[in-house]
Amino acid sequence: MSKHRKFISILKDTLNVLKIEFRTLFKDRGVVIMLVLAPLAYPILYCSLYKNETLIDVPIAAVDCSRSQESRELLRHIDATQNVEIESRFNTLAEAKEAYNAKKVHGVVYIPADFSKKLASGEQTTVSIYCDISSFMYYRIINQACSNCVLAMSNQVQIERLNANGITGQAATIISSPIPYNGVILYNEGAGFASFLMPAILILIIFQTLFLGIGMIAGTSRGENRFHVLVSSSVHRGGTIRVIIGKSICYFVLYAAWSFFILSITPRLFNLPHIGIPADVMMLMVPFLLATIFFSMTVSVFLPHRETGMVVFMFMTLILLFLSGVSWPQSNINGFWRAFAWIFPSTSGVQGYIKINTLGADLHHISFEYFSLWIQSIVYFGTTCWAYHWQIKKSSKSAKELAEESDTI
Amino acid sequence: MVGRPIYFISTFVIMSFCYVFFLTFFNEGQPNKMPIGVVDLDNSSLSRQFARNLESTQQVKTVMRLNSHKEAREEMQLGNIYAFVEIKRHFANDVISNRRPPITFYINDGYLIAGSLIAKDITYMSAATSIGMQRKILRAKGLDETRIKGIIQPIAMDTHLIGNPWANYGTYLLNVILPGMLQIMVLMMTVFPIGVEYKERTTREWLDGSGNAMLPALAGKLVPYTIIFTILGVIGNILLYKYMRYPLNSSIGWMFLATFFLVISSQAVGILFIGITPVLRDGVTFAGLFGTLGITFAGSTFPIEQMPAATRILSDLFPIHHYFNIYVDQALNGVEIHHSFISYIAMLSFMILPLFVFFRLKNAAISQNYPTK
Repeated sequence: MSKHRKFISILKDTLNVLKIEFRTLFKDRGVVIMLVLAPLAYPILYCSLYKNETLIDVPIAAVDCSRSQESRELLRHIDATQNVEIESRFNTLAEAKEAYNAKKVHGVVYIPADFSKKLASGEQTTVSIYCDISSFMYYRIINQACSNCVLAMSNQVQIERLNANGITGQAATIISSPIPYNGVILYNEGAGFASFLMPAILILIIFQTLFLGIGMIAGTSRGENRFHVLVSSSVHRGGTIRVIIGKSICYFVLYAAWSFFILSITPRLFNLPHIGIPADVMMLMVPFLLATIFFSMTVSVFLPHRETGMVVFMFMTLILLFLSGVSWPQSNINGFWRAFAWIFPSTSGVQGYIKINTLGADLHHISFEYFSLWIQSIVYFGTTCWAYHWQIKKSSKSAKELAEESDTI
Repeated sequence: MVGRPIYFISTFVIMSFCYVFFLTFFNEGQPNKMPIGVVDLDNSSLSRQFARNLESTQQVKTVMRLNSHKEAREEMQLGNIYAFVEIKRHFANDVISNRRPPITFYINDGYLIAGSLIAKDITYMSAATSIGMQRKILRAKGLDETRIKGIIQPIAMDTHLIGNPWANYGTYLLNVILPGMLQIMVLMMTVFPIGVEYKERTTREWLDGSGNAMLPALAGKLVPYTIIFTILGVIGNILLYKYMRYPLNSSIGWMFLATFFLVISSQAVGILFIGITPVLRDGVTFAGLFGTLGITFAGSTFPIEQMPAATRILSDLFPIHHYFNIYVDQALNGVEIHHSFISYIAMLSFMILPLFVFFRLKNAAISQNYPTK
């Protein structure tokens, strides 16, 4: 056979594999759910659940033992904030605690009886806050809203006291804040929960559905195949690379489209951060999808049935989320788990995407993640070749044995 | 059960892995010494003192000194630092000559947890620096100490965290995630062992073994898992409350009971899922989606009350949501047990779910009239 004709035949085989893969994919209800429905529905579902970026009007209780003009003013300010609302007022802390235990309120502001007296006499007075910390958000929001109001009132009193001590005008301003400080929040200006967590979840949706879908397809063909091997001999006709390339093109084409929808359209629909250059996101997605596909194809060889992957790997979703270093900062993950995290393309995928899309980094800023993904693509392509080669050899061997058996009969 | 590795892996191996993973991953409790940068354009003894003071806080570590705002912002985009502090040129001079030079810090809230913890520490240190300066000026004016105290901070605020006084981040997460992992595996290992009988068309043999009665057949299949997962769950409780010493303001027995109820209610949901079709792969898909969503619907990450209204009703359909309520009431807040009865009863009421699919399962087992593909 001439080189030219051989090339044509390889191309034909590859296209054949691609065609068969697309057909099996859309014929199988479970696979359609995993590779088509889930990647389209999940981003919408999770974005809707986390739609409220922050907490609004969290109910809290007030215990005002001072009952003075000043204490009422402070409580009015707290009530007026966007984040908390004074839902009820009590005479004692014990009563407030009961309301808290019954989950009617998530926090308590306590103003002591000598509050206005101490304010009048120039002493320091203390306001106490009790926070529900069943969720980190409650603590953050209640503490922040109250401390802003207390600080504002405190500053006002400070000026009055300085004036009373004969320090006025410019001098009072200087003493009240000799070194003004201010914090500027970048990249997630509203300190929103969805803007922080959703980008990571979006990448994990791509990773997990692709991983579980490929596992499902591989498990099915093994379960149905006469010899319980991954690739039936009628398909591959002896060429490992043809099978792998054919299959991976199928997954890649499908997920290139999904990635565009999930990573470029969803953030705009739900007003999540999207300051990155779309072309950079797509450039990152090429090695991310390739690494994910080959990683999944390698692992899928070891899954004996179509359901095995789901049963055994579903729980990994959350572990991958933590390994990606978004919620618990990457700098504080210990060396062992950081190395473990690097095995999974999702880690570099999440970090790379957040850096481009949320922090507005360019491709050259994320060269570590970018090259990691290319290295993973190459390594996992190698392992896929090895695993498929092993499977195909097994399949031809059992086919040969069967043929010999029927000869002897 | 002993024949295939999947049974052993999906119970002991995965749960042990989860325990080891999460307990070693969060063993610090709080992320400490997170990297930040300092842009000190003044480089005076005062500005250096400030940078040193930042070092002494618990959650911040200055890992780099940068020459410009642009450089610092790039380091932030690279992910090397989560925040940076900028001190302007002539800072010390301006302080002395009362020109009120500002300290500005930039926080990356793209990483919200790291960002907000760091902001807390830098704000504290900036305030302390400003107050130190105030005190100096006021002393120079000849005021006495009690008066100075009253001027510096007329109204102080102290924050009490109910039940978790150390604001330990691991506590928020692990108390939901470990039971969350447990319910995922319970769901899977309810659907799988039942579904595999239907898939391999061995249901008649399975029923034969229990005298053609569905109830003993189901019980015989699932009770071993009830025992195994309850033991694994109780080990989880002991790890959290005894080994890690996370807040436990009630008897640990109530948490054991909640764990047991979580196992049986998840099994009930699992039976429902496999009973609907009863096709193994659909059951596994339902179980996987439901189990993962459960972690969100538990209500620890983002409070359910603040989600869209329909979500609140939906969350009641997840056993883990009721488990979370019991954890908050009992372990965290230590309220009287009668507040939690409703949650225990809610979990028990999941036990009626299998009734809806009981006859479907039985008929399908005998007549084997369902798609296998």
